[in-house]
Amino acid sequence: MEHRRNRNVGIIGTGQTVHSSHREDVNQPELIREAVAAALADAGLAVEDLDCVVHGNMELFEMVHQPDCWHVLGTGAFGKECLRVTTGGTTGATLACAADNLCASGLHEVVLAVGFEKLQEGHTTGGITNMADPLWGRQLQTGALTGIAAQELIDEFGAERARRVAMKYRILMDQNAMRNRHAHRRFGLTMDQLDELASGSPPLVGELRMIDMCSQSDGACAVIFASEDKIAELGAKAAWVHDHLTVHREETFTLWGGQREVGTMRYAAERLFRRNDLKDPLAELDVFEMYDPSSWWGVEWLREFLLLEGDRHLRLVEEDQLTPEGLLPLNPSGGVIASNPIGATALIRVAEAAAQIRRTAGDHQLRREVKKALASGFGGTLWTVLMLLGSEPPGRR
Amino acid sequence: MNQFSYSESDAFSVEGKLALPYQYFAGTLGSEFLVSLRDRRKLLGRRCSRCKKVFVPPRSHCEHHLDAPCDEWIELPGTGTVRGFTVVRYAEPYQPCPPPYILALVALDGADSSLVHLLKGLAPSEVRVGLEVKAVYAKDPQPTILAIDHFAPAGKPRQELGYSYEELELGMTASFTKTITETDVYLFAGISGDFNPLHMNEEYAKTTAFGTRIAHGALPQSLIAPVLGMKLPGLGTLAVEVQCAFKAPTFFGDTITAKATVEEKQAEHKRVKLRCDFTNQHGQLVATGWAVVLPPRKG
Repeated sequence: MEHRRNRNVGIIGTGQTVHSSHREDVNQPELIREAVAAALADAGLAVEDLDCVVHGNMELFEMVHQPDCWHVLGTGAFGKECLRVTTGGTTGATLACAADNLCASGLHEVVLAVGFEKLQEGHTTGGITNMADPLWGRQLQTGALTGIAAQELIDEFGAERARRVAMKYRILMDQNAMRNRHAHRRFGLTMDQLDELASGSPPLVGELRMIDMCSQSDGACAVIFASEDKIAELGAKAAWVHDHLTVHREETFTLWGGQREVGTMRYAAERLFRRNDLKDPLAELDVFEMYDPSSWWGVEWLREFLLLEGDRHLRLVEEDQLTPEGLLPLNPSGGVIASNPIGATALIRVAEAAAQIRRTAGDHQLRREVKKALASGFGGTLWTVLMLLGSEPPGRR
Repeated sequence: MNQFSYSESDAFSVEGKLALPYQYFAGTLGSEFLVSLRDRRKLLGRRCSRCKKVFVPPRSHCEHHLDAPCDEWIELPGTGTVRGFTVVRYAEPYQPCPPPYILALVALDGADSSLVHLLKGLAPSEVRVGLEVKAVYAKDPQPTILAIDHFAPAGKPRQELGYSYEELELGMTASFTKTITETDVYLFAGISGDFNPLHMNEEYAKTTAFGTRIAHGALPQSLIAPVLGMKLPGLGTLAVEVQCAFKAPTFFGDTITAKATVEEKQAEHKRVKLRCDFTNQHGQLVATGWAVVLPPRKG
């Protein structure tokens, strides 16, 4: 099933707050405005130039009903079409898909996607578990806090190798985050701390330790999408949307007992690569911004998203092929483990991928030319959104 | 074979409850506003540098001018005009006070925005759009908007009379609470001439069903008088008839709450019937009854 677009769309501006565990100095619209102002400045546009705003965060995480209305004070949506999107962890990615659709369809010329979260406010478990009875599909949720991926990697590759790879992945993400001034957690970890961290970090669930886990962040991200006509008119440098794809699924891990679930990651990647003629993603992609909620899932999903077999995903980490200078740079931003304002998180993946193409990433800009970039979004029980960006507009299909 | 029929069986409903703690941040701008209310009893607004509108509570940017900050504090007098109002007449546990109560939209003097707040000090039927009001600050102000306890009519204090027949509404309540001491019982014995040993003689009282002295039944009952005469309807009220049934004894040291609730308006003589309930500190009903009163006439 292909996507048909009436015209091409590109990203012409991105903006982020500095993500942090606490932003007591601003309320929600004030926080959002920081990201929106940065994106407008990046695009050289004013609020009046925006035709439409797509707004998103995790439903009820801040206990605010219809936050999009209050946030008009920060989004610039006054008097405009404003759509609210909330698809759990993938919210940010769905925002990007929706903004692209609104431009590609011909409905709007310039669309702002804005995602935010103030995780220090509200009560996340209350938001995702507001009525719980697992018997009837009203699941008790813990977000991404699960040790399943760790156990599966250990079962398959042995505890010592799996633990070392996961922790090496974690340290690589921190080294990347150290170059990203927007990142929330920047510890300055070094590889010689690997054994100490793998055994000394406080355990959470199963093999999952505190250091493996993504943060809870306050932050916002804004991305401006424009039609090819508008991009030509502005003479803007764009990161072009080549394609995006969403794969949904039922909300359960345990339907078939201990049996491994069929993930949506490989399924999504196979379809996206096929219809965009990507035969060797490892070689053809120049950067991958992956939604990695923990270092264990990060490692496991490499195999799924990049369609790898055997232990290739482990070797990518072991052989330093995911560093900014490696075969496929992974999360030069530091990824989700470093910064996780959830409603913005998956949009940050798209923003970072676009920034690498537009060469606006700042201190974590890759040296190589970035022609093709992939961004992923993860939600709840393993549903997936993928967005493929390019430095040139895609050929019409 | 047993046929299961939806139409003949019950559908289960599963009861559950989750506690949802939360916190939020007012931001530095909002904090200055709240601290000023709490510590200085001053209401602050913030002015947009472009359109010059003043906002309460303060905002960093107005929705029309995202590129121009609201950058000036404006101190407001805390007075305003009622632009709209509603009267809440149903009861639920999370309300700020018992119904009926007035929520007014107050256009603040010196600001372009309005504030919703409680309006007290007048009967619901007396509220009008255009009424001039002033902020009444809380005795122990907290850093929330409830540092302003409520708004009240500005200008000269209203005539000291209770609610008229026209102003009274079904469901209005008022109460008075007092601890009944041994002294109260002895004074009441002197007033009434009722020196019954059940009230006066501990040794005798030990032999009764109560096992100790109890107050005269009419003593807690009399606590309805300050409610009817001074609160609801209030000054100017004449009591026409009071009925009471005693349900439980009042022991020395018990704290009794007498509560009146407007139950019926009798148009023919412009009288009002109020239900009277008397409860002790355990919430136990010690007496219940009703009163018919003639509220004060106005105008």
